[in-house]
Amino acid sequence: MKKLIALLLCASMALGMAACTSSGKQDPTDAPATDAPATDGPATDAPDGEKVEITYSYWGTPDEAASVQEVADKYNAENPGVHVTVMAIPNEEYVTKLNTMAVAKELPDCGIMNEGGVLDFAAKGLLADISSMYEGADSMPLDSITFKSEGQPVAYSAANEILFLYYNKDMFDAAGVEYPSATEPMTWDEFVNTAKLLTLDANGNNATSADFDANSIVQYGCNVDNWTWQLEVWALSNGGRWFSEDGKECTINSPEVAESIQKVADLYLVDHVAPYRPGLEDSGIQSTIAAGNVAMATGGTWNVGTCMNTAEFEYGVARLPVMKNEVTICTGGPQVVFSQSKHPQEAMDFIKWYMQEENSWDSLIATGIWMPILEEYYTDEALTHKWVDNPNFPAYEEFKPAVVDYAMEKAVSTCWYYIPHTNEFIEYLRGILGPVWTGEQTAADVLADGYETLNSIFLDN
Amino acid sequence: MSTTKTSVKQQRAALRKAARNNKLLRSENRAAYILLIPSIIGLIFLTYVPLVEVLGLSLFDWRGVGTPNFVGLGNYIRLFTKDPYFVDSIKVTIFYSILAVFGSIIYSFIVALLLNRKIPARGFFRALFYLPYVLPAMAVYLGWNWLYETNYGLFNYLLSLIGVDKVMFIASKDMVVPSLALIAIWLSGNLIVIFLAGLQNVPRVYQEAAEIDGANAWNRFWNITVPCMTPIIFYNLIMSLVTNLQVVTPALALTNGGPGNSSRFISYVMYQYAFKDGKFSYACAISFVLFLLIAAFSSLLFLSSSSWVYSEGGND
Repeated sequence: MKKLIALLLCASMALGMAACTSSGKQDPTDAPATDAPATDGPATDAPDGEKVEITYSYWGTPDEAASVQEVADKYNAENPGVHVTVMAIPNEEYVTKLNTMAVAKELPDCGIMNEGGVLDFAAKGLLADISSMYEGADSMPLDSITFKSEGQPVAYSAANEILFLYYNKDMFDAAGVEYPSATEPMTWDEFVNTAKLLTLDANGNNATSADFDANSIVQYGCNVDNWTWQLEVWALSNGGRWFSEDGKECTINSPEVAESIQKVADLYLVDHVAPYRPGLEDSGIQSTIAAGNVAMATGGTWNVGTCMNTAEFEYGVARLPVMKNEVTICTGGPQVVFSQSKHPQEAMDFIKWYMQEENSWDSLIATGIWMPILEEYYTDEALTHKWVDNPNFPAYEEFKPAVVDYAMEKAVSTCWYYIPHTNEFIEYLRGILGPVWTGEQTAADVLADGYETLNSIFLDN
Repeated sequence: MSTTKTSVKQQRAALRKAARNNKLLRSENRAAYILLIPSIIGLIFLTYVPLVEVLGLSLFDWRGVGTPNFVGLGNYIRLFTKDPYFVDSIKVTIFYSILAVFGSIIYSFIVALLLNRKIPARGFFRALFYLPYVLPAMAVYLGWNWLYETNYGLFNYLLSLIGVDKVMFIASKDMVVPSLALIAIWLSGNLIVIFLAGLQNVPRVYQEAAEIDGANAWNRFWNITVPCMTPIIFYNLIMSLVTNLQVVTPALALTNGGPGNSSRFISYVMYQYAFKDGKFSYACAISFVLFLLIAAFSSLLFLSSSSWVYSEGGND
C-alpha cells in the first residue's frame, strides 16, 4: 500500500513538474538587444492572411485606456494586416507588472515605460533596438528627452513634460497681489514673500501679520512638490547636481543640494506658507491647488490635461522661482519595443506612428496631457499655435513664454535619461528625506548619513 | 480441561475479531490516505516546493532574466551587513507585531466579554464589531488616511477644537507604527468571533459552583473564565502573530514605508526588491529570513504554552 501511495505521489509530482515547465519561449537575454529587424526587413512570422496581433501596454485609468484604444483602432483601420490591443495597467503597479511579466517572458510587444526603469531594462537586454526609428527624418525628438546608455540612444520619450508654476488667479485678486510674470521668474525670496501674502489663517490674517495663527491656516500660499524625483530641479536651481554631468559620479552630498532641499522643507517648517506633505505620493497638484486650498503650486505640464483643465477657478502659469540658476527639468515616459516581442518590426511601426503628434493629437496633445516631442512644435510659431490655442490651455501669450519657450531655453534632462538604477536611488532618497519634511532632521544631516548607501546604489554595489 | 478449551476458543475468537478489526482499520487507513492525496499534492506544490525553490534561489544572484549566478550566502550576508533597510525593517515589524497582537487580543477579549452578556441589541453590536474585518482593505486604509491626515484630517480637526496642536499620526517617525497598529486592532473582528465562541463553551457549572462558594465576579473571571479560555487565547495569539509579522498592506496603502523608513516592514522591503527593483533572488533571501523569524516566534509561543494553556483533555 505504501508503495502504491508513493507511486501515486511521484506520478502527480512528475505531472505537476511538466505542467509548471515554461512553454519554451526564447530567453530574451539569449538574443542580442539589436535583434530587431531593419526597417525594411521581413515583417512577420505570421502565416499569410493572418493578422499580426500586437499588444501595447499603457499606464492609466480605464478611461485613459479607452481613449488610447481609440487611437489604436485608428491604426488598426489604416493597417489591415495588424491588430493592436491596448493593455491598461494602473500607474502605481506599472513597474511591478512589467518586472513580473519580464520574468514570465510575457512582456507585451511594445508599450510606454516608466522613465526610471528604461536604462535598467536596456541593460538587461529587454528592449529592442529602435535606433532606426528616425533615420532620415527632417525633425528629430529633442535631445533632452532621449534616453542614452553610454552615449547611444536607447529610447525616445513619447512626450516632453517640464515642471513649472501654476497659480490661482482668484486668490491673487482677492489678496490684491500682482500675478507672477510669465517671462521673468521670481527669486526664491520673492516667491516666499508672495506666498506669505497669500497664506491666510481662519481670521483672515496673512502670514506677514503679527496676529497670524499658524495653527488655523485655511489657505496656503504655495506648495513646492516634494515628490522625490522633482527635487532634482531645486538642486540644479541652487547650483548643485545629484550626479556629475558625465554621469560618472554621485554628487548629491554637496552643500548646494542639501540647502535646496532644506529650502523646500522650510516653506512648511519655518515660513508656514505650505501644507505639510510627506513626499510619499504623486498628488501634489491634485491635493493642493486643484483642491482649492493653495495659491501657487509647482507641477508638470501633464497636469494641464489631468486636472487643471477642470479647475473651477481661473489659473495662470509661470516659470519656476529661481534659487541661483534659472532651470527646469524635462521628462516623459518613452515608447519602447520589448525584445521578447515576436513581431518587433510591426511593434516599432506602431509606436513610431503613435508618437507622431497628429496621431495622438485629440487624446493626448490637445487635452494638455502630453507636450509634443519634435523640435518644430516649439520653434515654428504656426505649429505652436496649432497646439496651444485650445480651450484646455491657459492663454497663448502666457503659456508660450512660461512653458513653451521655457522648455526650449531652460529645460535639462532629468537624471534618469543617463543614470541607471534611479528607481532604487530615488526610493532610498525618499525614505531618508521623510524626517526632513517633519523637521526631525536637517537635509544636510540625512544626506551626509545616507550618502554612502546612495553612492553604493548608484554604483550598483 | 474444559476450561483450557474454552480459553483457547476465546483466544481464537479474540484473534479473529482483532484480525477483522485490523482489516477494517487497514481499509480505513487506505481510504484516508487516498482521500488525503489531493491535500498532500496541494501542500507539496503550493507550499513545500516553493519554499525549497525560494531557499535555492536565495543562494543565487538573479534579476528576473538571464542565468542566475551562484553566490552562496552572499545575499544573506549583504542583508545583515550592507542592506540599508533590512535590519531596521525587522525591528519595525516586531514592534508593530507586538503592539498589534497584544492590542488586538486585549481589545477583542474585552469586546467579546461585553458581547457575551445579555445586552439589548446584542446581535446588532456583534455585527457592528465584526464589520471592519469584512470591509475591503483599501477602503479601510483610505478612510483612516482621512482621519489621520495632518493638514485637514478629522482627528486633527477635533483636536484643534479643544486647542491641541496638530498630531502627525502617520507622518511622524514615532507615531506611525502605533497609529498603524491601532488600525490593525480596530480590524480584529475575527478574533472577537472566535473569543465569543470560546466564551460560550466555558462550563456554566464551574461558574455556578464558584458563585455558591461566594466567589465575586473578578475571581470567577480570573480563576474560571480566563483559564478555560487559554486554548482560545493561544490560538488567537498564534494566528494574529503570524498575520501581523507578514504585515504589508498598511505600508502599501497608506505610508509607502514612510515617513523615512519607519513603516518599511519586512514584507514591504521584500516586495520592493522583487517587484520594483527586479532583484528576485535577493527578495527570496528576505522571504526566507521572514519565514525563519515567524517559525522562531511561533516555536517560542508553543514552548511557552505548556505552562499557561489549560486543556481539559490533558496535553496529548
